[in-house]
Amino acid sequence: MSEDREIVRPEDKERAPEGCTLSRRRFLEGVGAAAGLFAAGAVPALVTVLPQVANAAESGTESTGDGVLDSIIEEDHAVNYPGKPVYYADPAGAQKWAMVIDVKACIGCRRCVYACVEENNIGRESGFTYIQVLEMEPGKIELESAKLDYEEAGRPDKWYMPVQCMHCAKPTCVYGCPVIATWKEPDGIVVIDYDKCIACRNCMITCPYDARHFNWVEPEVPADEVNPVVPLEEKAGVVEKCTFCVQLTRNGHTTACTEACPVGARKFGDLNDPESEVSILLKTRRVWRLKEDMGNEPMIWYVG
Amino acid sequence: MAEVSTTPPGVKRIIGVDFNFAALRTAGPRYWAFVSLLLTVGVLGLMAWGTLLTQGGVVMAMRDSYPWGLWFTNYMYYVGLAAGGLVVYASVHLFGAKQYHPLARLAVLQAGVLVMMALLGIITDMERPWRAMWMLLTPNFTSPFVFTGSAATLYMVICFVDLWILLTGKGGEKLARRMTLIALPLAIYMHTTTAFVLALNKSRELWHTAVMVPIFLTSATASGIALLLITAYIFQRLGIMRFKASMFRSMSTLLATVIIMDLFLLVVEILVVFWPTSAQPGHVVRFSEFLTGSYAFAFVPVLVLGTTAFILLARRSTRHLPALQITASVMYVVAIFLKRYSLMAMGFSVNPLGQPAPPFVPSLVEVLLALGIIALGMLIMTISAKVLPLEVPEDHDEGQESPRVEFAVEPTLEVG
Repeated sequence: MSEDREIVRPEDKERAPEGCTLSRRRFLEGVGAAAGLFAAGAVPALVTVLPQVANAAESGTESTGDGVLDSIIEEDHAVNYPGKPVYYADPAGAQKWAMVIDVKACIGCRRCVYACVEENNIGRESGFTYIQVLEMEPGKIELESAKLDYEEAGRPDKWYMPVQCMHCAKPTCVYGCPVIATWKEPDGIVVIDYDKCIACRNCMITCPYDARHFNWVEPEVPADEVNPVVPLEEKAGVVEKCTFCVQLTRNGHTTACTEACPVGARKFGDLNDPESEVSILLKTRRVWRLKEDMGNEPMIWYVG
Repeated sequence: MAEVSTTPPGVKRIIGVDFNFAALRTAGPRYWAFVSLLLTVGVLGLMAWGTLLTQGGVVMAMRDSYPWGLWFTNYMYYVGLAAGGLVVYASVHLFGAKQYHPLARLAVLQAGVLVMMALLGIITDMERPWRAMWMLLTPNFTSPFVFTGSAATLYMVICFVDLWILLTGKGGEKLARRMTLIALPLAIYMHTTTAFVLALNKSRELWHTAVMVPIFLTSATASGIALLLITAYIFQRLGIMRFKASMFRSMSTLLATVIIMDLFLLVVEILVVFWPTSAQPGHVVRFSEFLTGSYAFAFVPVLVLGTTAFILLARRSTRHLPALQITASVMYVVAIFLKRYSLMAMGFSVNPLGQPAPPFVPSLVEVLLALGIIALGMLIMTISAKVLPLEVPEDHDEGQESPRVEFAVEPTLEVG
């Protein structure tokens, strides 16, 4: 990913990324307007829910061969996409974003959590963070015995697993939203329309990763810490979650959490690029995904 | 609006229905005291809603670990009560159960009012109620919310149309029968989709079972019959309507039958969760919370009250006693409220990342909001009891109060 440590805010939104994204977006907008949102959203969702069961079991174990990534990329397509770009970020490019987290390297320092809170204008008193780091007992991945509110990081007798929105290829939250206020962008990022969310919180119920959080209080951020690029007031009384830092990643930067990780446990990149770190990791390492049996096909892999 | 002055003085005919406003003028002080009590509670509820709209969701006890609270419990509960009462009424036309015929208007009115209360619960929970229009403009048909919401709205309309048909006698028996043919499947559909809101979530293990749908249907039918029995009894005691003892006995038999089906389904589900060859750690951990853990206060009474109600009604020699019928009915109406709460809490007791959440206790705003909605529902019933010709063979209404006990069981529960 980008090697420069300095985060440049994507101030000029006019700059379109390379690739044929604009024409594609226009095309999708046209489809959305003409065919109506019923067809654009519900029907593809229903069609794609059904065949996923067959692939669900295998996709986690493969890590060699070139056809493997193709099938993953193919599964990860836009869902309920209304053809409407995220207004605070560039339009989706030709990438397929994915993340690989090295749980062997992770020391549980939560620096990714803090960086994320600052980058994404998460209310300091809101009582949630996009990233939740679980302290796990050695020998098993058992969530029921995992600890979320541990105090001392880096204990050698534990291991740590950061969990956040997985940007699933089969996002149950998107299927569960009654009003298409959340959707999957063409580059795989699941986003929420803060101006449309009706606060029914059904997406929080359908998410198996507890990745979505409701703003029970108005998000409050100290004036000098506000990130001007990311919405703030709009998030009051609606659901929000990790966006893979859409405002950064679509401008050639990496996510804030990847940037902040002191041990390089996080790798973020484009699956369409065979030379990207994530592509190489998926092809060469034994990777696994959390709650693979749910069949959500998450786009965050763990390795370790 | 057509007014005909040939009717008795004080009676106004609006859209074909005789509204007996004279009865309100002769109503006693107790009636008005009760109405003003309801109005006071209603205003408190309105203030609670205002607080919610101005200060946001933080005034409610719901949090991320508990995203749905009292409003959702009440939604499932009211929708079930409404669907259940209609089963009794529908059996008049569909199965020739003539003994329930005197209940027709009361059952339909109550069903309509209860669904209205359920929908109000949703609207008042939303911080921006006007965004509900997106449900119509861009519905997502993979979301069960779209189906249950539209079914409930349609059901409310059908109920009030049906009530109008019954009150005016337009179309006669034939139209009333046809309306039943629409309303009963719709009631079943509405409750199935409500169960789907829980059951169609693979992320929440304890909800993710198809038995949720039949459990919802039997619970709804049982609680609906029980509530209708209580309402009918109160209306009889207040002298508004007269029913035969045989009708109550018949309802009790029906109630006992549905209760045992309901309990059976629940026990089957518990067995599947705990049986050694089928037990999954995630299920066992969560369900144990409900049998012996911090949620036992809500779930154990479901089993105890349900079993006791069944035993009370099962004995042929004592089934005809009104005191037993009422006791068993009240027990079951309470049990179903607790069951709805438990069912909802089952999804939340341990969150998807395995982190436990303390039992949900609603905040004052939520309780006031719920009480306000109940007060509104009771107000409609109270006024209707006076003004509307609810008795099926046209008769004059006497001074009365209202279905006080029927709803009064809920407020006490919602605090706990």
